[in-house]
Amino acid sequence: MAQATLPTAQHRRRLPDLVFQMGLPLALLLVVLFFAWSSPAFLVPSNLESVLVNNFTLLAIVSIAMTLAVASGGIDLSVGTALDFASLLFVSLIAAGQPFGIALLAGLLGGLAAGLFNAFLIVALGITPFLATLGTLFIGRSVQQLTTGGGIPIYLSKAKVPEAATFLAHGDILGIATPLWVVASLIILFTVLLRATPFGRRVTAIGVQPAVAWYSGLPVRRDLVLVYLLSALVAAVAGLMLSATVNAYVPSSGNAFLLNAIGATFIGTTLDRRGRPNVPGTVLGVLLLAVVANGLLLIGWNFYWQQVGTGVLIFLVLVASFASRRWRKAA
Amino acid sequence: MPSTDHSAAPPALAMHGLIKDFGGVRALDGAEFEVGPGEIHGLVGQNGAGKSTLIKVLAGIYRPDEGRIAIDGQPVTDLTPHQVDQLGIQFIHQDRLLVPSFTVGEAVFLGREHTAAGLLARRRMEREARALITEQFGVELPKGALISELTTAQQQLVQIVRALAQKPRILVFDEPTAALVKREVDRLFAIIERLRGQGITIVYISHYLQEIERLCDRVTVLRNGRHVGTVSPAATPAREIARMMVARDLGELFPKRQVAPGAPALAVRNLARRPHLQEVSFTLRRGEILGVTGLLGSGVKELVRLLFGLDRPDAGQIEFGGQVATLGNPAAAVARGMALVPEDRRGQGVALDASVRDNTTLASLDRFVRGGLVRRAEEDGETRRLIEELRIRTPGPDTAVRDLSGGNQQKVVIAKWLARRSEVYLLDEPTVGVDIAAKVEIYRLIGELVERGAAVLLVSSDLDELAGIADRILVLYRGAVVRELPAENASSDALLAWSTGAMEAA
Amino acid sequence: MSTVIEQAGGERADLRRLGALALRAGSLLAFVAVLVFFSATAPFFLSFFNFTNVIAQSAILAILAFGMTVVIIGGGGNVVTGGIDLSVAANLGLCAAVYAALIQAGQGDATAILTTMATGLAVGAANAFAVVAVGILPLLATLAVMNVAAGLELVLTENTVLSASTPFLMAINNVGPFGVPNLAWILLVVAVVLILLVQFTPVGLRLQAVGEHREAARAAGLPVARYVAATYLVSGLFAALGAILSVAYLSGSSTGSAELLLGVVVTALLGVVFSRRLVPTIGGTLLAALFIGFLGNGFQLLNISSYWVSGVQGALILLVVAATSVLRRKES
Repeated sequence: MAQATLPTAQHRRRLPDLVFQMGLPLALLLVVLFFAWSSPAFLVPSNLESVLVNNFTLLAIVSIAMTLAVASGGIDLSVGTALDFASLLFVSLIAAGQPFGIALLAGLLGGLAAGLFNAFLIVALGITPFLATLGTLFIGRSVQQLTTGGGIPIYLSKAKVPEAATFLAHGDILGIATPLWVVASLIILFTVLLRATPFGRRVTAIGVQPAVAWYSGLPVRRDLVLVYLLSALVAAVAGLMLSATVNAYVPSSGNAFLLNAIGATFIGTTLDRRGRPNVPGTVLGVLLLAVVANGLLLIGWNFYWQQVGTGVLIFLVLVASFASRRWRKAA
Repeated sequence: MPSTDHSAAPPALAMHGLIKDFGGVRALDGAEFEVGPGEIHGLVGQNGAGKSTLIKVLAGIYRPDEGRIAIDGQPVTDLTPHQVDQLGIQFIHQDRLLVPSFTVGEAVFLGREHTAAGLLARRRMEREARALITEQFGVELPKGALISELTTAQQQLVQIVRALAQKPRILVFDEPTAALVKREVDRLFAIIERLRGQGITIVYISHYLQEIERLCDRVTVLRNGRHVGTVSPAATPAREIARMMVARDLGELFPKRQVAPGAPALAVRNLARRPHLQEVSFTLRRGEILGVTGLLGSGVKELVRLLFGLDRPDAGQIEFGGQVATLGNPAAAVARGMALVPEDRRGQGVALDASVRDNTTLASLDRFVRGGLVRRAEEDGETRRLIEELRIRTPGPDTAVRDLSGGNQQKVVIAKWLARRSEVYLLDEPTVGVDIAAKVEIYRLIGELVERGAAVLLVSSDLDELAGIADRILVLYRGAVVRELPAENASSDALLAWSTGAMEAA
Repeated sequence: MSTVIEQAGGERADLRRLGALALRAGSLLAFVAVLVFFSATAPFFLSFFNFTNVIAQSAILAILAFGMTVVIIGGGGNVVTGGIDLSVAANLGLCAAVYAALIQAGQGDATAILTTMATGLAVGAANAFAVVAVGILPLLATLAVMNVAAGLELVLTENTVLSASTPFLMAINNVGPFGVPNLAWILLVVAVVLILLVQFTPVGLRLQAVGEHREAARAAGLPVARYVAATYLVSGLFAALGAILSVAYLSGSSTGSAELLLGVVVTALLGVVFSRRLVPTIGGTLLAALFIGFLGNGFQLLNISSYWVSGVQGALILLVVAATSVLRRKES
């Protein structure tokens, strides 16, 4: 339709747009205020740091991996698998007496292997990402069960744990816990990557309309391979952090993060003007989940009601964001 | 064209004083539309003139803010799609709107299925649907075919039969010929005229003024949501109708320019790809517009796909500047300076949900990279420059391309390649679904492209367009070049004759 | 007027038809081959008892998968943007917990059944609301609802197993006419009714239209929103049905629904290969459920470690999907 008078119409739409884009930060603020008011133990620095390190770090890293995959128009259900493979190789090598550096590298390569498999399925065979990564998830589960004789964790005795690992998980730089430095670096790195690098712009374009990207001469295949490799690599980092924290490899522990990572990623899309996956939004989503989990615990909610509470909150945030998007479209 | 006397019977359709606002945009501003019984009535107007809004009001999809509608003289209010259906008005939509995995019988009777004891009577529906198609069109569709296995023209026949099964009084055709080749268009026209003979009133919406001329008894022109006039195409030349649509003289429909062809930009030797492309060779020079046309199956589409790296040839070579090139994918073609403006604009040309700027810089991001990052400000600057240069009508570079008209969307596609500084343009049906004023602008743009030294390969089934714009025209028939003509010698009749194989190869 | 005999849209159509036929035939062949292989190598495989037992054991998974299939049919093929119901397993868990809790609280089967059905419907309604009224992506909406349902289940069960046993439940778990377990009979009846409904009635045809081409369905005057909402209600109802069967089978509620969900998704997706037009169908899903059931059973009888099961399922999905996507590529 010819837009002779469009500028006025668009203008009128801007204010509500902004309000609803701010829905997620607003929800986060409200939640923080609520818990600060409900529990004196909440807004205490040690609690906040604990929330960040324990509830936020690992989920945030996995969610960044997920965000990348979703931004490219797909999804990566096997982030947990990459996490577990990394964890498995890292802990196994340490247990076998290998130095920290080698074990670290092996862990990253292990995660990368999952990513490579995904890339092969998705790009070479043309399988849709949901199903391809689902397949990887299934196969990864079998692999782990077989290599550990049915899901038996590998524990590292205190003596075997390298100093570097302890530093990574429990140390601090300039007073801030090391894990937070790791997360922060990844957040900044991937925010810039997705938003401002040519690769990131291309990935977004592929996610928005893959056919147009292909018909515009973009190296779609190559970029998608990179996406799934990167996604697995980032998830591997989470696996390494996890193992360094608990000094063990627990099979299939990665899958616990999967659903929340998906949730956080999609909640995060509400932050973007066009509803696209983005790292800052995802991070806020993870923060929301972490704060709610912590807050409910502090105000004494039964552990089981916590999950209900978190679930209801995610539901409400989604309803608010999608309803507002629909409302805006109708206007 | 026999014109029926409308004075005795009430109009089949009368819409008066229609007003419809969308937010701040007034789509219909007192529009009038009156169709006499048993006539074929055309409806034309630029994109944004209110044609589709008017039709959607008629279909009961939109409710007008003001206005009166009467069908066969009876006033109707608060139309719902269901009511419209009951009143005997059926629509042949531009998009096929048929379920791909359904059989013909299922597609025709969806929503009005034949049942036996509560269960679907599939065989009966299939038999009846096929019989209807044979009876109405003299065509027998392949047995047991699914909709997805039919050609566009065949699907349209199914659409029409589906509409006819409701025994309509008024049939509305919305841009029905966009995806059809000439033979199918002729068949469609014969069908429409026969339907008129059966007493059905036809409303015919189209961008193709030639078709309006051929087919319609009268035509109504809309502009800016208002009724501009209702005239008889027999008495009014296309140029006059076009002037009514845009309120100014478009001047030459096909702007002429003088460009001397330069060095060869692209050479094709013995290119083949089974089963449709047998053997094609030609050279495309800088500064030249080479028209290419042919029926469905003549190899034209395959040629375009080969040139852009979407397919690999079975035999033959493609040369750029004398060097043989293997194009494994579009990226390789683009790297050689090729640009494609695809036929499927909305699916392959522009990302509808992205901004004008994102679309424009999509193929040339590397140009704007400093220090590893894409510089927004420079992207913006270049986009604004191109918006101005191509006269793209948009509120700004941030606007979603979805909100632009078809012609402007097409300009964004061209802008994308201009930003990339491409040198060889493949234009595949670039003016389909584009209104007349935008068409002229696109022709002007094409002219400017070649003036700047680009080479253009223009694929079109609009033979007047080819004859008007191209320097040379290749006609493909059954996978080979059956004729090459300089534009002066090309009339649309001759081109048609060659593409249907009616003439001997020279 | 002479009649022109039309050709279909070129060779692509024929190729694709052949391909689809080949895939379906190949999958059926694979099914039969698997059965033959196990009959030859696994002891007790080819016995009436074992066969009917497998069918009975597949009942719960199959019924859940039926609900999922209805949602997928109505929601369109694309898994990320189209219809899917991730909450079925958690819904089953919640309903089973409700049933068991009511029995433990001294309520009768009738009350328990009604409440359980209502619970399943309520969860389905939540999904329907989120997807249709609000417009949330089904993947997300059902994920969120799943979270809530799983949480509510935990609240009810406190992560323990609630046992429940009544004559009614025991009857379900028992052997019925002709020595075939009642669970198998129930599966059969449900499957037949559903196949009739979905493949052979106007309602079913319209549902397929809604899922496959929403615009066309709208243009045909179908109330699209209502159909989509209904699919989620159906899915919820089937989760409740599955829950009752599950309580009968396990003599109580169960913990941990993640495994079940993955199995349901695999089954529903695999089902596409067993259908004529390569679209999701109830019959195809039934065959897929049985396929997976027999596969697992064969492994068990052959003493192959269950650790392989997950991997084989994964490989199966990938094979199936690779084949169908190669076919689809040929047409695009």
